[in-house]
Amino acid sequence: MRIVLAEDNVLLREGLARLLAEAGLTVLSGVEDPTALLADVGRHRPDVAIVDIRLPPTRTDEGLRAAREIRKRHPGTGVLVLSQYVRVSYTVELLEGGANGVGYLLKDRVTDIAEFTEAVRRVGSGGSAFDPIVINQLVQRRAGDDDPLHALSERERTVLALMAEGRTNQAIADRLDIADRTVEKHCTGIFTKLGLIASPDDHRRVLAVLRYLNA
Amino acid sequence: MRKHPHSRVGPLALAVGVLVLLAPLPLPIHTVLDRLIASGWTAVLIHLVASLPTGRLGTLAMRLVVSLAYASALILLTPLLPGGPPDRLAVDVAMLVVILLGAAVTAMQWLRWRRTSVPGRRSLTPVLSAALVMVVLFLAGNPLWTSTAVVDLTLLKVGLVAVPLAYLANELRTRIERGGVADLVVRLGTTPEPATLQSALAEALHDPTLEVGYWAPESEQYVDAEGRALAPPREPGRVATRVDRGGAPVALLVHDPSLLDQPKLIEAACTAAGLALQNERLTADLGARLVQLAESRRHVLQAAEAERRRLERDLHDSVQQRLLSIPMTLSVAQSALAPDSERARDLIAEAKDMSLAVLDELRALSQGIHPTILTERGLEGALRELTLVAPVPVRLTVRLPARLPAEIETTAYFVVAEALANVTKHANARQAEVRIDQVGEVLVVEIVDDGRGGAEPTGSGLRGLAARAADNGGALDVTSPDGGGTRVRAELPCG
Repeated sequence: MRIVLAEDNVLLREGLARLLAEAGLTVLSGVEDPTALLADVGRHRPDVAIVDIRLPPTRTDEGLRAAREIRKRHPGTGVLVLSQYVRVSYTVELLEGGANGVGYLLKDRVTDIAEFTEAVRRVGSGGSAFDPIVINQLVQRRAGDDDPLHALSERERTVLALMAEGRTNQAIADRLDIADRTVEKHCTGIFTKLGLIASPDDHRRVLAVLRYLNA
Repeated sequence: MRKHPHSRVGPLALAVGVLVLLAPLPLPIHTVLDRLIASGWTAVLIHLVASLPTGRLGTLAMRLVVSLAYASALILLTPLLPGGPPDRLAVDVAMLVVILLGAAVTAMQWLRWRRTSVPGRRSLTPVLSAALVMVVLFLAGNPLWTSTAVVDLTLLKVGLVAVPLAYLANELRTRIERGGVADLVVRLGTTPEPATLQSALAEALHDPTLEVGYWAPESEQYVDAEGRALAPPREPGRVATRVDRGGAPVALLVHDPSLLDQPKLIEAACTAAGLALQNERLTADLGARLVQLAESRRHVLQAAEAERRRLERDLHDSVQQRLLSIPMTLSVAQSALAPDSERARDLIAEAKDMSLAVLDELRALSQGIHPTILTERGLEGALRELTLVAPVPVRLTVRLPARLPAEIETTAYFVVAEALANVTKHANARQAEVRIDQVGEVLVVEIVDDGRGGAEPTGSGLRGLAARAADNGGALDVTSPDGGGTRVRAELPCG
């Protein structure tokens, strides 16, 4: 898995590069601004670009805009956006180009190396990785008693959230320590209750679920 | 303030009167003294007319004419000299000179009257008309003109009295006008508007062009009721009178110079209006200070806002980032441990969790200092995030021609955040709407829901918002009838 890294804080950039290297991933380059990022992505065509949201020159949302640009220009490169805060609106913006090869995580997630490298690999292979905080916010706002989410069981809701984060059935099964078959059964139940058409493709399933949550 | 010139009109008029009574008219006259008196009174009369109304000879020409008049009195003495002209001729020459000089003085006074401003004519007109009557009478009935007087000599003497009488009438008028100051006191008794004070003074001083300036100690200048600077006049035809109270400047009256002839009137009017002027000055000063206060409050808010933004950025760009590198490094350390170092692994995990907890707290703190999404996305982006996470569907309409001042953006953000939080917690609404609109120089923020209504505007959240809006010079209005939904509307000046 080949990676280009954009982070303006040297300490973090180097720490992150070391962490990824330790996990056996290849960091092709580490840059500090959007221009260099777009140039390096164009040159190296990495599997994943890991991008901090606040990049120079204004340190507001340059990273997010660069991420959308990469998705438009290089569909083969997955984009994983990192930030000190995660926003539903940014998630929605990132999803505009579909849920393939895209991720958006709180920066703190990098400290769980196994989880984080798993997310990087997922994004790099066309999957997605969304932060549990965002998914939780999307689920939470469905508070109305008449909302179809209320028809879901506790376990089904947990599975739904993990699906929305972009995890595969296998990963969900491992995480919840249940059998693959059970996860599949939950998925069918969820899709039926929410009136969604089940898709065999994990990636498309994420988009369906996220779109449903964000509707 | 200029002193009222000591008038010489009285003595001159007296001299004319005495000389006329003593004049041994008609001719023939024999002694030198009698001849001097007979011709001298016309010279004094010319002097009197020329010196009206103040008793001073204003111009060099006037002085010349008056000197010639006195010199002409000697003409009547020439027949007494050896080889002098006959009486008849001397009288005719003296008459001609006197008539010419009288006409010159009358003409000069008439020109002066024409040049004088309207308020100035008020004192000039009566005396000059009396003088004119006098000159006409003199021409018609001068005893020197013909030995058989056309007009009775008494008539001329009565006519002569007209000049001092007119002068007296004028003096009387100024005194009555000073009495009019009493009306001013009555008018100013009720709290006067600034414009009323000016017009009241203009009326009391009979000068419609009068302007009043109030002393503004902050800027050390006189300002009118609207706060515009009123400089002492430089052009001729306008003069300024300072009004002080207790040694400190209170006001400045800019008026017609003719008022200087009546310093007592100005003095009386200023004394009468003193308290009102002082009040007015304090009001004008207070107004100026309020404007300054609002200005400095805005500056404080702007400075606080800028400082909060800077703090949030500093926390984000340095502290939070550097802090994050600690658990990151600990993670790498964790994975580098030998498989059997169970205890070290646990301790590192503990340290990592602690630093992540600190990071969490720091994030909440930073968010409280300044909503980070406002920094990243401005008002519209920040509001979109708020409406997206709201549990009820929220329709967002933002109509803004340009970015707003930072403190107004932040206030608008907090108004919407608090109102939407209330919708979530209390309203039991099915949907809500957020509208942001700029109308002229006012930002209108409106949050409407279809919930149960009955919101208490005195609740701490809404009260805090109202205070926040007021701090920014705006206002917050909450309409929440029972069962009729809630409407929170904030108007914030953003010009």
